[in-house]
Amino acid sequence: MKLDLSSFPFRTTSVLVVAALAVSACASPTQPGASTAPSAQAGPVSGGTVTMPIGADPTLNPWSPNAFIESLFINRVLFDGLTKPGKDLAPAPDLAESWTTASDGLSWTFKLRSGVKWSDGTPFTADDVAFTFNDIVLKPDLGAQNRASYAAVKSVTVVDATTVRFDLSRKFAALPSFLAYNAGILPKHVLSANPLTTTTFNKGTPVSTGPFKVDKYTSGQSVSLVRNENYFGAKAFLDKLVFTVVADPNTQVAQALSGDLQIMILDNKAAVDRMKSAAGLSVVARPLVQYYWLSLNQTDSRFTDVRVRQAFVTAIDRAAIIKSVELGYGSIANSPITPALAAYYDPSLASKYPYDPAKATELLKAAGWTPGANGVLQKDGKPFQFTMDVGQRGVLEPVNALIQQDLKKVGVIVDLNTMEWNSYIQKDVVRREYTATVNWWTYPSDPDVFPYYHSSAAGKGFNIPGYQDPKLDDLLVQGQSTSDLEARKAVYKQLQQYTSEVLPYLFLWYPQEIDVLSTSLKGVPELGLRDAMHYAGEWWLAKK
Amino acid sequence: MVVGQEVARFLFQRIASGALVIVFASALTFFFVNLAPGGPSSIMRFDVSAEQREALIKRMGLDKPVVERYADWAAGAIRGDLGTSLLSDEPVTQRIGERLPNTLILAGAALVVSILIGIPIGLIQALRRGSALDHLLSFYSAIGLAVPVFWLGIVLILVFAVSLGWLPSAGVTTISEDTLVERLRHLALPTVALATTTLPTIVRFMRSAALEVLDEDYIRTAASKGLAPRVVVTRHALRNALIPVVSAVGALVPRLLGGTVVTESVFSWPGMGRLALEAAQGRDYPLITGITVVVAGIAVATTLLVDLAYTRIDPRLRAS
Repeated sequence: MKLDLSSFPFRTTSVLVVAALAVSACASPTQPGASTAPSAQAGPVSGGTVTMPIGADPTLNPWSPNAFIESLFINRVLFDGLTKPGKDLAPAPDLAESWTTASDGLSWTFKLRSGVKWSDGTPFTADDVAFTFNDIVLKPDLGAQNRASYAAVKSVTVVDATTVRFDLSRKFAALPSFLAYNAGILPKHVLSANPLTTTTFNKGTPVSTGPFKVDKYTSGQSVSLVRNENYFGAKAFLDKLVFTVVADPNTQVAQALSGDLQIMILDNKAAVDRMKSAAGLSVVARPLVQYYWLSLNQTDSRFTDVRVRQAFVTAIDRAAIIKSVELGYGSIANSPITPALAAYYDPSLASKYPYDPAKATELLKAAGWTPGANGVLQKDGKPFQFTMDVGQRGVLEPVNALIQQDLKKVGVIVDLNTMEWNSYIQKDVVRREYTATVNWWTYPSDPDVFPYYHSSAAGKGFNIPGYQDPKLDDLLVQGQSTSDLEARKAVYKQLQQYTSEVLPYLFLWYPQEIDVLSTSLKGVPELGLRDAMHYAGEWWLAKK
Repeated sequence: MVVGQEVARFLFQRIASGALVIVFASALTFFFVNLAPGGPSSIMRFDVSAEQREALIKRMGLDKPVVERYADWAAGAIRGDLGTSLLSDEPVTQRIGERLPNTLILAGAALVVSILIGIPIGLIQALRRGSALDHLLSFYSAIGLAVPVFWLGIVLILVFAVSLGWLPSAGVTTISEDTLVERLRHLALPTVALATTTLPTIVRFMRSAALEVLDEDYIRTAASKGLAPRVVVTRHALRNALIPVVSAVGALVPRLLGGTVVTESVFSWPGMGRLALEAAQGRDYPLITGITVVVAGIAVATTLLVDLAYTRIDPRLRAS
């Protein structure tokens, strides 16, 4: 019997839960289309509480090494950066009103908004910005999160109370975009003694600048935010924004169905149909600045031949992966620049490597791999066989199983080594003791992918395959060297074409995020939820 | 008072051996979790550079040898300081203190429900051995043992919270309205889910213990003396049959304290199980060790209480 993995449900728990969901659908008193009639076309109104789930207790400090994904959503509401992702994802003003780069490109000057106050009423000044960078991010012994992104920053100088200058060791055109990405400014007057581990701040009621401030942090249960009356911009519409700790994604689904949650990311995509048919909920797909890849360790001589890499990407049925694992929410990737970065993305590359096992076989043959016994490819008497390490997280397990099947069809034998996530990171990322592995990158809304591709990051930095290529290095540096949008577009178009040709990583797909929103929740911009959090002050609830 | 002295000596011995168990458990846990592959989540993440990793290892003191770290930890533990959580920078005692009451409430509720329902059912099954009712109840027990809690939990939520809307789906209370009634409403579904897994154990122990006792000569004697069947069952049979059930309950307590992870996750119940899971996944060495010590302490105390309970139920044990 042939096992068709493409239609094989990838998690037993998901299957059981979907079955349970189906049962409840029959029993549910609320049927699709029952009451979705919009209220009168009224404008935003104040009031109400919106509840959103997070997977664990957050750490309310964007630079803490313990601020994991569950912290990211709330920190983007609390802590304004100098910039924030605009609704087109280009950097937009936040605590800074405007910014310019020096003619030599070796510094950026930010003009700060005046009259901004912290939630405790203390004025916000340029000193807070200098403190956040000089005393936290740029202090090597603190190990602040994201500090690697600021390797080009030498120091931040206070020019006057509302002006700061970032001095650079090399050109860094993407700085305004990076400052919009988990780079909230922290209050010097509260944290100067202990910036990263003050628990009354990180796990209590921090002082912040955003449209909401923390009212109450209850460990293991919830963090309630209320309107920050000191906020510099328009006052938030919602009275309260509550982040409730719900570890189990299936419980999140159940809570959304019972009306306890007004907005969430649907991690368990198997539940999407049930959510779509629920009254009072709307389901939307949002682009992400994220892509999945297969990394082939370049210290293994079998993978340094570009024909082998091209053959693999041709042999892997990526459309089938998107269909079965992402239920169609995604598109094929052939470069690191995602469709979410619309100004830069080159759509012509999407059809570059159509699924074609015969073509893959040809490429492998050209690289010296010919069928031996049992149809397994071999070269110099050695079979083409290797191990892929699989981290237990998200969709990685079913994806690896599909890739294993596809490569088997062209005579390449893959053994899967499934590992607990933490141990996997140690083996594959810290020690780089791996042959091949699948994972993903999420990065700031800018095409500057230098940290993941430059030769200097091979072996120890974020260049996971350890691919080194002077031509690619040159393109990466060129992209960082000019702030002119048209010039950057041209560089990154070249970079996309080049990476799609040489395949430093094997690009797999660009995922989309599925967000579930209450139909009464309005004013949420059409962005991935991480980015939409920057606009929480504009969210409002229509009166029922 | 000879008896008093003996009791004191018994208690002293038990407490001393209990303390030894706790020390042993802490050392074993500390060394094993440190031997496990991986490391604290803050350093085992994709987006951390080698340089950051080194800085963090130093800051957390993980560059010191394991033996030295254990000695430091033990020195603090004697003074009641279980160290600092690597994941949250809060004291371990504080993190456990926040979660332990929730676990005790949930585990206690499940245990009480299991005992109140399990003992009568087990007894009825024993009295009606081989009847259709006995088979039916055994069948339900088997289902209770076989059904995975995560599935049962989700079904309970979908039926009682989503479809019927009678009970809240998760959490310990309503944030805006924290009353005793709300807390009890939140407790209902997780208690049912957890009790479903413990109830069959008590039913089975009760049934087999009662069966054994009902065959004893003294029961026949009591019955032939002309005592009312109700008196025979409650005064003579139940009391003797309870002894193995009490030890089963004693064995369930540590399992409930450490093993409610799934129930706690499904119902977002902020208890020790979820804390332990997070600590293990995130390699929070001091927190894992602290939780082990606390659970071991409770297990030791429970065993002691069970032994004392025996002496209440069985007068023969009072002498020995």
